[in-house]
Amino acid sequence: MASVQISEAEKVYIMHGVRDDLRVDGRGCEDYRHMEIETDVVSNTDGSAKVRMGHTDVLVGIKAELRRPRPNVPDEGYLEFFVDCSANATPEFEGRGGEELGVELSNTLYKVFNSHRSLDLRSLCVCPGEHCWVLYVDVLLLQCDGNLFDAMSIAIKAALFNTRIPKVRVLEDEEGGKEIELSDDPYDCLRLRVDNIPCIVTLCKVGHRHVVDATLQEKACSAASLLVAVTPRGAVTCVRKLGAGSLDPDSIFEMTETGKRVGKALHAPLMELLQKDESLGKKRQKVGFLA
Amino acid sequence: MLKSKTFVKKTRSGGVLKIVREHYLRDDIWCGSEVCTECKDDSPVLQRDAFIQSRLCTYPHYLIPDTNVVLHQIDILEDPVMRNVVILQTVLQEVRHRSAPVYKRIKDAIHEKEKHFYTFTNEHHRETFVEREQGESANDRNDRAIRVAALWYNQHLRKAPCAGELRVVLLTNDQANKEKATEDGLLAYRCTARRFPSAQSPWQGVNHGRQISLLNEITGGRVLFPEHLPLSRIQTGIKNGTFLQGTFRANRDNYLEATVFVHGEGEDGTEVLLQGLQNLNRAVHQDIVAVELFPRERWAAPSAAVLEDDHANDEDAEEEEAEKVPCVVRKKTSMLKPTGRVVGIIKRNWRPFCGMLTQSQIKEATRHLFTPADRHIPRIRIETRQASALVGHRIIVAIDGWPRNSRYPNGHFVRNLGGAGDKETETEVLLLEHDVPHQPFSKAVLSFLPRMPWAITEEDLKVRADLRHLCVCSVDPPGCTDIDDALHCRELDNGNLEVGVHIADVSHFIRPGNALDQEAANRGTTVYLCGKRIDMVPELLSSDLCSLRSNVDRLAFSCVWEMNRNAEIIRTHFTKSVINSKASLTYAEAQMRIDDATMNDDITNSLRGLNALAKILKGRRIEKGALTLSSPEVRFHMDSETHDPIDLQTKELKDTNSMVEEFMLLANISVAQKIYEEFSECALLRKHPAPPLSNYDILVKAAKSRDLEIHTDSAKALADSLNAAVLGGFPYFNTLLRILATRCMMQAIYFCSGMDSDFRHYGLASPIYTHFTSPIRRYSDIIVHRLLAVAINADGTYPDLMDKHKQSTLCNNLNYRHKMAQYAQRASVAFHTQLFFKNKGILNEEGFILFVRKNAIIILIAKFGLEGTVFFKNKGKPGPKLSFDSEGPSLTVEDQHTFHMFDKVKVTVTLDASNIQHQKIRMALVEPIAGVSVAWPEPAAKKPKLDR
Repeated sequence: MASVQISEAEKVYIMHGVRDDLRVDGRGCEDYRHMEIETDVVSNTDGSAKVRMGHTDVLVGIKAELRRPRPNVPDEGYLEFFVDCSANATPEFEGRGGEELGVELSNTLYKVFNSHRSLDLRSLCVCPGEHCWVLYVDVLLLQCDGNLFDAMSIAIKAALFNTRIPKVRVLEDEEGGKEIELSDDPYDCLRLRVDNIPCIVTLCKVGHRHVVDATLQEKACSAASLLVAVTPRGAVTCVRKLGAGSLDPDSIFEMTETGKRVGKALHAPLMELLQKDESLGKKRQKVGFLA
Repeated sequence: MLKSKTFVKKTRSGGVLKIVREHYLRDDIWCGSEVCTECKDDSPVLQRDAFIQSRLCTYPHYLIPDTNVVLHQIDILEDPVMRNVVILQTVLQEVRHRSAPVYKRIKDAIHEKEKHFYTFTNEHHRETFVEREQGESANDRNDRAIRVAALWYNQHLRKAPCAGELRVVLLTNDQANKEKATEDGLLAYRCTARRFPSAQSPWQGVNHGRQISLLNEITGGRVLFPEHLPLSRIQTGIKNGTFLQGTFRANRDNYLEATVFVHGEGEDGTEVLLQGLQNLNRAVHQDIVAVELFPRERWAAPSAAVLEDDHANDEDAEEEEAEKVPCVVRKKTSMLKPTGRVVGIIKRNWRPFCGMLTQSQIKEATRHLFTPADRHIPRIRIETRQASALVGHRIIVAIDGWPRNSRYPNGHFVRNLGGAGDKETETEVLLLEHDVPHQPFSKAVLSFLPRMPWAITEEDLKVRADLRHLCVCSVDPPGCTDIDDALHCRELDNGNLEVGVHIADVSHFIRPGNALDQEAANRGTTVYLCGKRIDMVPELLSSDLCSLRSNVDRLAFSCVWEMNRNAEIIRTHFTKSVINSKASLTYAEAQMRIDDATMNDDITNSLRGLNALAKILKGRRIEKGALTLSSPEVRFHMDSETHDPIDLQTKELKDTNSMVEEFMLLANISVAQKIYEEFSECALLRKHPAPPLSNYDILVKAAKSRDLEIHTDSAKALADSLNAAVLGGFPYFNTLLRILATRCMMQAIYFCSGMDSDFRHYGLASPIYTHFTSPIRRYSDIIVHRLLAVAINADGTYPDLMDKHKQSTLCNNLNYRHKMAQYAQRASVAFHTQLFFKNKGILNEEGFILFVRKNAIIILIAKFGLEGTVFFKNKGKPGPKLSFDSEGPSLTVEDQHTFHMFDKVKVTVTLDASNIQHQKIRMALVEPIAGVSVAWPEPAAKKPKLDR
């Protein structure tokens, strides 16, 4: 993952600041940076969102395709994740540099999101055993400035909220063959319920305390961080430790509790924002990539 | 200004695709009116004084019709009275989507200058573009777009300083739309299909008599064909007799008619007639179908009309003439045939078809119609974006399916063969169309070839007679590399002659049942085209190991007779042998040796002996009633570089030709007797049935016209009377008669002796006959070789050889391949003839009338062996007055000239390339009367030829 090199003196300065709940950019330990969210930014996807958090910039596009359901769950659709670490984000990703990270990130995302607890996968089924919607979630990292997971999860949630899947009907002809019929009306589409979609809160252990939404400098001071996926109700769906260092059980417990609290607090304004944005309809001002 | 249009589409593989198109709006789209000063249009289309006499609108106005008005009232819009009409882009797009023919017509109307039709691209106009709203159907959106555009026009024109009374009138079919328009303050009129063209028409002068005939063809998704029954119901139906099962055969001249050949019990097959697209119900030539018979009162007679499905290329053009189609004139009841309809398809027999693309008239359309070269096959609709690249090329298309609501089957592009008219392409086409297997031999097949270098082994010599000391030679046409026969003749001590026919021992190399054998059995025969040979066995065998070339040791199967000087056989002996040919001669070389008295070597003497015997044999054969027939065959002289034909020559026969032929016949007959003696149940023989007497009618009539009599009661009588039929001063007459006689003959066929009782070969006047002498190029001969080898204990047998049913199926394949090879050969000659005439330009040639028909005469140009038809009637044009006398037969044109058979005429010959798929040789009379046009009969026209 992208990282920066900082001197010992800087480290000490950052750690002391964190100890006193005052971070370099003036935030408290549980504060997020300023966030910008825009949905429906890529018109040829079924749902998309762009999230900017500090200098971290993430674009998520969702394409729905009709596929055969997985044999073990014939009545459910599923999600596929792909994270593209573009060389735009940091020169380290050039060539195949970002590939390993991309796979790791997509595996983590898969663990966090692809569960019928977070999304009603059954609603994605068109015809049990034959057709279901597969949501291809493509994440593009445009710029890295720490806290990728949180930005990605927010972007994914926003994109899922924005996703409109065309409604289809299954017609049976005389010979028993099934045919898919598309609705003629482009407005006639399926929306996903995002109520239970978790957000990821990454907590970075800096000194004896932990911070959310760590910048790259803060990250450089930390040996280990904990990823906690939290639903709006405060349920933790996934916990993962990142980084080379170790965490003692007490601080894991403490960090999970913080994660829950921060996560719950994160969901409410996010949903409010998305709904408000939606209600604007056509009057919504598009910003896109030129901001 | 940029907008994007989004829609979802179903892909062919069943997926769903979201498509986003950029849509640009502009502010420089002009209204097209002369009165407008705001728009900077250089040449406005709409007139200032737009005045149509109308009771409803007494002021000048422009009309804006909506989609349904254009679709249903196109006849009226096309009327010259209708001028100054604004056709909106929305309307045009919808029309195009729903009916291609109407789209074509409205486009034509727009292009007509005097009509002042103006296309307003409202979809790209900044002020008239509307986006689809939530809950709005596509139709509603389009209606709204039309209203918005009309409204814009009204406001726009009002701003013009000298617009005066000029108004815009919206025409619609829809009451709701009219109401909405009036609400918006628009002037709208509703015209229904009934009201508009009727007497209350607001526009006077419009042709009232027109009917709205297009109404039904606009509904896109309507079902055209009845459903096919499921297989289970077909099976029960066939079992209890309500349905019949048979092979579907489309009529090549009338696409609305077909027959189903029902395989009845035993021999009696019946034919069921099918008429009309509905009753044909999507069956394609050669499909196995189930048919239901109509009650007797609905039986019909086949119509004689020639109907070509050459509809405008609009992919959805409906057959307007379907209604015109003869509701089958009730002819005499004797003409009525069992008639029925297809209820289901038991087995499709679709193969990839070869043909050409007819491009859709709509430029950017992706669906195009494909016209197969085979006229039995309906046109096929394919989807391609590369239509322009494929036009003019021969392509292969496969049928995917034929949905119930589609006029044509749907297919997909398979392969591009190359430009039409190219020699390679056309050769490929005719091989494909005649089902000639011509792929290179597979690895599996080649693996059964002997290892090189190959030599005769000690074991071979042990079991074979060593005839290498004999003075054997071969006589063949020039350039022949697959020499399968050689001859020798020598004097024995007792004064008799020993004559040997040595045939390449192909069965030594091709062992029964292996891949090589199966491939050869499937190919059945080598196909000779002009300048190309499609081998039955790999070249190593055909041109090397099996070919009896001079001065190399070769394995042979020999048939050796001891004969006296009168060519009577004293002893016949068959043996496998090893020979060493001393010379490979051409017919001409052999002839020269015989004629040259100074030559006295062994080979020449041997040839002389053979020649003398052959003459006796031939005399005896003719005595017995063998026919000498004739067909005008031609050879091309090919340019060695380009392989283009540069000259034509009819085949010439020399004494040596018939010398070789005589001994081949003798060998074939001897072998036939031997294998039939040994295997009365499973000998593979060849028969030539006597034709029914009625076949000879035309020949007898023709001869009678020249006061000659032809007797047809027996082959002998026929042969004699043909010999006697000579006209002084007309040397070609006899040949013409023989050509005619050839056309009366039946096809000779292979059969298995256990499956038939009549063995006679009519043409050769032989009670039994088979093919033994060309195993390199015919599979039948290989089987005969195997049978003979078993009969003389030279080889073992195998089960399939002794199974008469298996052999019978093999015979069927051989007969089929043989027939197809002949057709392919003829098609190749026809194509090269065309090439020849293409290079030659227009020629004036002398010819003879071969047949006289009701409306045409068929002419043979002896020099080229070329046949053509001179029609006296042209499609559409009234032809000259004709009177046909079927007794003569003769045809009198304009009471001036009477054409009889065999009359000498002069014609011009040209190549007609107007239909690139079926290029034709055109002939037109020059003498005795000029100016009549012509077409060449189809290349595969029935032209049975006596084939020994």
